[in-house]
Amino acid sequence: MKRRNFIKKAAAVTAGAFAVPYILPSGRLFASSGSQLAPHVVYVLFAGGVRQQESILQGYLDQSQGLNIPGNIMYNMLNGAPPSQKIVYGTDGLLEGDTPIPQILGQTLEQQGTLFPEVISSSAGHYGGLNALLQGNTLFTQGLKQKPINPTIFEYARRHLGLPASKVWFVGNGIGNSTPLLNYSNHPSYGADYGANFFAPTITFGQQGIDHLSNAKIYHPEEELSPIYQMKYFLDNNFRNVGGEVPGIHNTEEEKQDIKAFMEEMYIKTQNGTISHPPVTDNGDLVTVGYACEVMKWFKPNLTVINLSAVDGCHSNFTGYLGALHRADHAVGHIWNFIQTQVPEMAGNTAMIITPECGRNLMPNPIEDQNDWKAFDHSDANTRRIFTQMVGPSIPSGLRVGSETNQVGISADGAPTIAEILGFKQEIMSSGLLAGNAQSLFDRI
Amino acid sequence: MHTLIKGVDMRRFLLFLGVLIFIASCKKKETYEYQITPQNLYPTNAGKVKLKTDGQYVSILYANLFQTALSSNELFRITQCIESVGDKDLVREVIISNFMNKSDVILPTNEEMRADIDAFLEATYERFYVRKMTEAERTWFRNYIESNPNVTPELVYFSFALSNEYLFY
Repeated sequence: MKRRNFIKKAAAVTAGAFAVPYILPSGRLFASSGSQLAPHVVYVLFAGGVRQQESILQGYLDQSQGLNIPGNIMYNMLNGAPPSQKIVYGTDGLLEGDTPIPQILGQTLEQQGTLFPEVISSSAGHYGGLNALLQGNTLFTQGLKQKPINPTIFEYARRHLGLPASKVWFVGNGIGNSTPLLNYSNHPSYGADYGANFFAPTITFGQQGIDHLSNAKIYHPEEELSPIYQMKYFLDNNFRNVGGEVPGIHNTEEEKQDIKAFMEEMYIKTQNGTISHPPVTDNGDLVTVGYACEVMKWFKPNLTVINLSAVDGCHSNFTGYLGALHRADHAVGHIWNFIQTQVPEMAGNTAMIITPECGRNLMPNPIEDQNDWKAFDHSDANTRRIFTQMVGPSIPSGLRVGSETNQVGISADGAPTIAEILGFKQEIMSSGLLAGNAQSLFDRI
Repeated sequence: MHTLIKGVDMRRFLLFLGVLIFIASCKKKETYEYQITPQNLYPTNAGKVKLKTDGQYVSILYANLFQTALSSNELFRITQCIESVGDKDLVREVIISNFMNKSDVILPTNEEMRADIDAFLEATYERFYVRKMTEAERTWFRNYIESNPNVTPELVYFSFALSNEYLFY
């Protein structure tokens, strides 16, 4: 072959390789181009162990207490009529809990987005479940009090999108169950340098925070803060010589000042009662969501993860569980409504994904509450039944994927789905750090 | 019978010699006792390899700034505050500035510091780092304080409390 012919053919083959569409193992026609479906994602880790029977299946008391009273108590998220009798999940009226919280959204999220009603949870416990949701990996061998071993979605997002720390937030329901440890992993290629900012608002802006964080002395930026930092950097440089590095996420000085300004604003708004709380705010989840909305309004994060947990009271109080589930739905409705109406920079270009970290048992434990209703733990096969809902730009509306007899999706799918929405799917899929069967939910549609 | 050696009475000579030896042998002997002068011995920063827990950090910081112990209840609550914020540098800064806003924080005056900068620095290093400062540190800090009239003991304390070395022991 002549040299000129060889070059021509080689060039043609190379061009063809780029130009001709190819079929990926996932079945999609093109590899992800890296383009974003939306610049903002809100990921709601929903509620702390939710039974399919009271959520997707809308059983209310029908599939738990032997009472033939079905109904939908999550009517911001799901289509379906609420229960007609024995209303205990609302706010107090004539009787305790007899007044359902009014629906916030004009259209349910099921109508607006896509629902995967039967997803497989990889874990029967909270921490394992949360790790799967955040890491996209089910190899969460670390125990409580330990950082995740595989990168979290925060680290993927920051590393592959080059995001600053103040654009990636984890808003936790509290500081128990090692929740604060989930903002970054110990993975050597990712880790603290790519971690998310974290607040547990019930503490940070609760009474402890008001007592110990809200009365900060204001220092002049040039005349006082600048010398403080100069002296600190001198001291740190000296100590660095002997290897003294402190683990943890680091915001830039500008980001720090911004976060401190945000905190000051929150203490003022808390005292004035003007936090963007949901219309009903009578439990920790709803308080958390109010501050999460403030975080979104202030920082316009590219990724916001919100952890809710109140339904876990189902271990000992089924009535309380119903109320918490109803409020978790209220919280989600409020988040979506708030984004669309109060945060113009995120309205219309934010995707939201909602999924519980684990389900709950089919059979009750022996504990009975004030209504003589039995409680449920999370340990049996029913615990592996969860759902995932997503809504936002490029997400099909009114679509239901999978059924009770055809489970579609796993809990580890959340991370690659977020990656696809934000535009770094290729990077996360080729990292080799996801569960082998984890897929973007767009690929499962 | 007496023995004579060239006119010397040998017995007297021996007596004289014996007295001489006796006197010499009774001379008070000087003894030396070696004792230790009290010294504060400090480790170097190279030995600090263990990270303080949040609780240790807060309780030591409080003791350094207020010269008294923090109650266990307050310690628990402040530790919770640290846990509730992701950026630990930031939340420590907020906690220190809250402490500095309290009326009972114990700080040297600016005049005291500037009257004897070396003494102030030595005391500050010992208070916060539990070690002597190096000559390089002394020189840098002395120059910095002398050339920056805005620097007060409060700002120096703040920078030490915020520094990485203060997080280790």
